[in-house]
Amino acid sequence: MRKTTFALLLLLVPVSPAAARVKLAALPPRERVEIQLDHGRYTLVEEERVVPLLAWSAEAGNNLVDFSWANAQVDKDSVLFRPVAVREGDAFRPLRDGEVKVVNVAYPPNENALVFEVFSKEACAAKVRVSYLIRNLGRTFAYRAVADRDEQFLALKTYLVLGNRSGEEFAGARVWAGIGPRIDAGPDDGDDVRLLVDRATKVPVRKTFTFDWYAHGPLSAEKPFASRVLMHYALRNDERNGLGRFPLPSGKARVFLDDGKGGEAFLGEDWVSLTPLDGLARIFLGEARDVVCTRTIERNERRPVEGNLFHQEIRLRYEIENFRDKPATLDIVEQLNRLAAEYGTRPPGDVEWELLDGTTDGIGLSTGKGGALPVLSVDLAPRPKEGAVGKRVVTFHLLLKNLW
Amino acid sequence: MRRLLLLPAPLLLLAALAAGKNVDLVTLPDRASVQLTIYNSEDLTLVRETRQIALKRGRNQLQFSWANTLIDPTSVEFRPLERADEIELVDTRFPGSKPQHLVWTIDSRHEGQVKVEVSYFTSGITWSMDYVALTDAREESLAFRGYVRVSNGSGEEYEDAQVRLIVGRINLVEKIAALAQRRGLPAPAEKSELYGELKKQSARAAFAEADARDEAAGKEIVKEGLSEYFMFTVSGTETIRNGWSKRMEAVKADGVKFATVYRLRAHQYGPRPVRFFLWKNDAESGLGGSPLPDGRLRVLRANADEGLSLLGEETVSYVPIKAPIEVNLGPDDRVSCETVAGATRRYDFRFDHRPARVVGWTEDAKWQDRVRNSRDREIVFELQRVEDGDVEHSSEMETTLFDYRTIETRFVVGPRGEVAYPSTVVRRMGASQRQQRVALR
Repeated sequence: MRKTTFALLLLLVPVSPAAARVKLAALPPRERVEIQLDHGRYTLVEEERVVPLLAWSAEAGNNLVDFSWANAQVDKDSVLFRPVAVREGDAFRPLRDGEVKVVNVAYPPNENALVFEVFSKEACAAKVRVSYLIRNLGRTFAYRAVADRDEQFLALKTYLVLGNRSGEEFAGARVWAGIGPRIDAGPDDGDDVRLLVDRATKVPVRKTFTFDWYAHGPLSAEKPFASRVLMHYALRNDERNGLGRFPLPSGKARVFLDDGKGGEAFLGEDWVSLTPLDGLARIFLGEARDVVCTRTIERNERRPVEGNLFHQEIRLRYEIENFRDKPATLDIVEQLNRLAAEYGTRPPGDVEWELLDGTTDGIGLSTGKGGALPVLSVDLAPRPKEGAVGKRVVTFHLLLKNLW
Repeated sequence: MRRLLLLPAPLLLLAALAAGKNVDLVTLPDRASVQLTIYNSEDLTLVRETRQIALKRGRNQLQFSWANTLIDPTSVEFRPLERADEIELVDTRFPGSKPQHLVWTIDSRHEGQVKVEVSYFTSGITWSMDYVALTDAREESLAFRGYVRVSNGSGEEYEDAQVRLIVGRINLVEKIAALAQRRGLPAPAEKSELYGELKKQSARAAFAEADARDEAAGKEIVKEGLSEYFMFTVSGTETIRNGWSKRMEAVKADGVKFATVYRLRAHQYGPRPVRFFLWKNDAESGLGGSPLPDGRLRVLRANADEGLSLLGEETVSYVPIKAPIEVNLGPDDRVSCETVAGATRRYDFRFDHRPARVVGWTEDAKWQDRVRNSRDREIVFELQRVEDGDVEHSSEMETTLFDYRTIETRFVVGPRGEVAYPSTVVRRMGASQRQQRVALR
């Protein structure tokens, strides 16, 4: 049952100030409906109809075209009425200058309607487009990623999820969400529709493991020096990786693993934030229990400089075990501003620091996230087939400078 | 039912003298035309009506009444449009026993029909402006339309009035309703039923019996300067029904070339770069015929045969002729900026006495703003950043000062390209601070 009416009526009355809102009308049906969801906040609907128009005459005046709706939340101020073509023979041709023109639009009180006064030089069938903003017809995005057994590649599907609570039926309307193709799959009122808008079959993915002491704190009372190791899939949104056609919109990603037996195992889900072209998307999968890292402060010495000014020498020791049967790289994030705050009143801005001798050679040290946010990347061998898992020990020796 | 009456008063007054009270046995001269000048800054409409009246040689009296309307009695003016040198307005009297009446005493050396104008201020009709900018699919040029919307909140239907709209902010020292009260009509509260009814009456009277000329193919809105204001005149006449609004095209320009600029001004627009469309209200843009009054502007893109896309909307403040139009479309997912802090160094410490404590120092901080453009065309990027304190700023890229504490730079980012804007800031902190400004090195 259609709850809503959207009507475009050609009122068969001359332009008369005394004309009451009692209408005898021709009802041109919708020829086409487009729903534009490319704007994050607004939904724009554009419908195309063919409206028979009478030629202007002194007696009859101009045409009145009534656009009305019920039970739908249309922004009345947003309605645009655009004549675009007239029928000539069996086809439509573009309008010639001044051939058909909207003279004005009137807003009846207490009605969901607009009345367009339309001039036409000749009697004709005019193709018009009526566009408007509508509320409660929105979209979200969702991803479904399936990793191969070796977690080297992802099959990534991007879905558009339409939710229609606008009060209007849009079945069959063409939908565009700003990405992917236009799809003839508008939803009826109350419906949710999930549409596949993009598919990438073999996206290289890197599994990352991250240890960040200040983000998560001690793992437990029994393991006061260990902390969570988080596991992410990292994938770059570029063409080389089979992506890069559009910025990845924010949305929920569900990640599965191909179990190699025709089935899939659910690995976890995360909210993917907007990822620009060439940007790196990180999907948090969960906690890696097979990579264990403990952090202790081996050395902690204050070096007075003058007055209350001092340097703080700190040597951090990380013991890492990889119980996985595959190699891994652990990224250790040290929040030096938080570390410095443990020893003094940190001045505003980032802490000043320098790397000291004694830091383990052969580890990656990056400040790409920020000068006071160094990341140590440590490569870990897989667990040996025989014998115990060895501990990889890494030392980070630094001087926090000019604290007080 | 008309409320505004213009009565040739000789018979009326003679009868009044004879009977000791007013007996309205009169002929009523019809309005020949009505012109409304509506101001958008106040609930104020200037009504100018013309009528044909008959005068006898010698002294005449004309009574003008405005029962149940919100007319400012102090604004009512009488002016002969014909034989002005033979007609003289002697005085205007407001009878104490008859509120909402006035009597003009007129000396005439002419006998016969003459056209006169009566003007006054009233309320009940408003107007506003809105705009639509429709770009082509490549976002290189746009079709710009401005619409005036006249709203009739009066409760009655009005026909065929000539309408003029004033753009500008006038100064009113008193509201029209308050002025109406002066002549014996208690002014109701603005939201009361009576106030609404009075507005209806006022507007109904203003629209009644106006010129019924009409035009077929659309209204032309003529724009002209008027002192510090601007006036839009709707060609022909308009009928605006009870409670209705009517929207008419007032400004039109096609093929308007515009510039696209991305701006990062965290203090003004938030942490993400926002996209601006820029053009001018000038002849080069096909505009400049008038200032553009305040109003909401919606920017859409015509996707060839694929419908429209809404790019953004913003309220435009009054734009004078030749002034720039800047439309903020909000963040664009295809252009991003990431600020990454680099190393920090502190030196030149200053200490106070016993026990020595740090009270001042100098700090060097480095960072990079990395702007990434995912669009398939180059973009212009403008960055402003506010720096508080005693700051020296340097960069390899050209940087200027917007004001004493705001640095500014502008650069081009190629299609699918990235540009890094490196900065080094030297701050004198604490007791070392001597200035409150940014100096460029």
